[in-house]
Amino acid sequence: MMSTLVLKLALRGLGRNRRRTLLSVVGVGVGCAVALLSVSMMRGAVEMRVRAIAESGMGHARAVPADWPRTRESALRLADWRAELAALRAAPEVAVAAPRARSEGLLGFGTRVAGVELLGVEPEAEWALSRLARAVNRGRYLAAGDSSATVIGAGIAERLDVGLGDDLFLTVVGADGEMRYDMLRVVGIIETGSKDIDASICHLPLAELQRVTERAGAGEITLLLRDPRRLRRLVARLDGLLPAGDAVIGWDVIMPSMGGDMNSDRAFMASLVVIVILVVVLGVTSAQLTAVLERRREFAVLLALGMKGGRLAGLLLLEAAGLGLAGASAGLVLGTPLVHRLATTGFDLRAVMGEEFAMEGVLFDPVFYGDMGSWLLPYALLVALGSTLAAALYPAWSALRTDPASALSLREG
Amino acid sequence: MTRPLVSAVRLRKDFQTGPITVHALRGLDLDVREGDFLAIVGPSGSGKTTLLNLMGALAVPTGGTVRVFGEDLAGLSRRQRADLRLRALGFVFQAYNLVPVLTARENVEFVLELRGMGGERRARAEAVLAELGLSELADRRPGAMSGGQQQRVAVARAVAARPRLVLADEPTANLDGENAEALLRMMRRLRDEQGMTFVFSTHDPRVVAHASRVVTLVDGLVAADEDRNGPPPEGGAEDGGAARA
Repeated sequence: MMSTLVLKLALRGLGRNRRRTLLSVVGVGVGCAVALLSVSMMRGAVEMRVRAIAESGMGHARAVPADWPRTRESALRLADWRAELAALRAAPEVAVAAPRARSEGLLGFGTRVAGVELLGVEPEAEWALSRLARAVNRGRYLAAGDSSATVIGAGIAERLDVGLGDDLFLTVVGADGEMRYDMLRVVGIIETGSKDIDASICHLPLAELQRVTERAGAGEITLLLRDPRRLRRLVARLDGLLPAGDAVIGWDVIMPSMGGDMNSDRAFMASLVVIVILVVVLGVTSAQLTAVLERRREFAVLLALGMKGGRLAGLLLLEAAGLGLAGASAGLVLGTPLVHRLATTGFDLRAVMGEEFAMEGVLFDPVFYGDMGSWLLPYALLVALGSTLAAALYPAWSALRTDPASALSLREG
Repeated sequence: MTRPLVSAVRLRKDFQTGPITVHALRGLDLDVREGDFLAIVGPSGSGKTTLLNLMGALAVPTGGTVRVFGEDLAGLSRRQRADLRLRALGFVFQAYNLVPVLTARENVEFVLELRGMGGERRARAEAVLAELGLSELADRRPGAMSGGQQQRVAVARAVAARPRLVLADEPTANLDGENAEALLRMMRRLRDEQGMTFVFSTHDPRVVAHASRVVTLVDGLVAADEDRNGPPPEGGAEDGGAARA
């Protein structure tokens, strides 16, 4: 155990060469600030992506038939969707639960046709779930009690050359394999800014889709969670509410490519942080090693007096910890304003990405925000203390190898 | 007969300097007895410091045996040798070697702390400093002390834990006559009053004058072992002691 005297020795040891200590603290502080900024960007990117995925209508999670992740078959239906919807809505972790069904279809108007994926929705729930539903800029979104109504994307409207109030001819394949027909009136047109997304939206009431396809039930219940950071745990918990044959899956299973991209981004930013830490470690190691060489005689005396190697190493690690704490403070002083700016003002991606902010049907925000929170303090301590303690290992080992006899006997009598 | 604290038998120590082997000790025999105030003298390169390092368990012999308090150093691990130094040995170095960032009291306390002494160590350190007339230096750091003061504090550090044997390597080499004399009187008083044994490696006739026994090394062997009957009386070092040396 370290006594107050050893603590005193360690802290005063840092003050021996103030310039070197200051430079080390600044080095650790700058590295720590860069690491904090990188982590803020990484966390911000993850949060932005999850939010964009969820609000683009994918949700944080979904209740689906157990076979759906394998087959991706839109004709599959939940075992008892009403009971499952009630159970999920009653769960305190769930903010929104929206029942849906999908089907392939063909929309026609005059001589023009467009192939679309029809999405049968419960209007109020969909409004709460999806920013697409809230992005209607002509007409209105679907409302409870609507039948034979549809909201389409601007791309489809342009392709079919239709406007509000026009009636579209819908052709689908029914549950029995026969062609089924319906007429849908355009009540709203959605324009998101993404051509890909605007060319694929076709929402209609769930009951209308069930009727025209003659497939009862819902194919999915899409969920917004109150705390999406606990996705794994919540998915497992909500899965337990469903009957056998249905399952809750996370967004990373719904969109595996997006999950893969996010893992790549995380790995890249983590590599960046590791490189920064390595540079800091090398710099501090060099300074610490110089200090150890300068104090070789002092260590020889301590060893000659009977100090054990472990305690000597502890002394040096304590000095490194002091340096780390000072470095963490410097890192917070330097990094917090940058992180704050990134978290509040953000970074406008239009300058580097142009005007298109959609990928795989997910609509992203054009302004990227970093994350800021109480994590800054533990991260700063982790990075700074981790760096300085790692940097002290080799110098400590070198100090332990001090031979008191040769270090003290500069002359041979 | 007083039993030996240190017993060296056919002690050899070689150093490798590039392709050359330096034989610092060449089969030396020597006993250090309890209560000795022993000065090891000899020309440069005769093996004085090497012998002191071996007695202090700071090094291990190349051949022969050296027993310190009955323990054969060759059979001790690095850790066990550190334990032995902590338990029973005190060191005074030529260049004082106080820890520069600690005050005189803290330097003394540090050794007591290493020995596992708890809350009473501060009082003990102050008592030792007072006993040696160094109370006024207690809160000074080495940088604010003269060489003589630093060396006296170094002695206080060496004796604070009441070791049975104190090894001093050229303790007066950097001191003027007055400081050297004060230091030697202090150490002799510790020998007389507390029964500590002192071994010096030295070129200094002032140390020799105070010694109760003088061992002369030449080429790594004992050339002469003069056993005097106790140190000179108080105040007589400059006259009788110097004359005998």
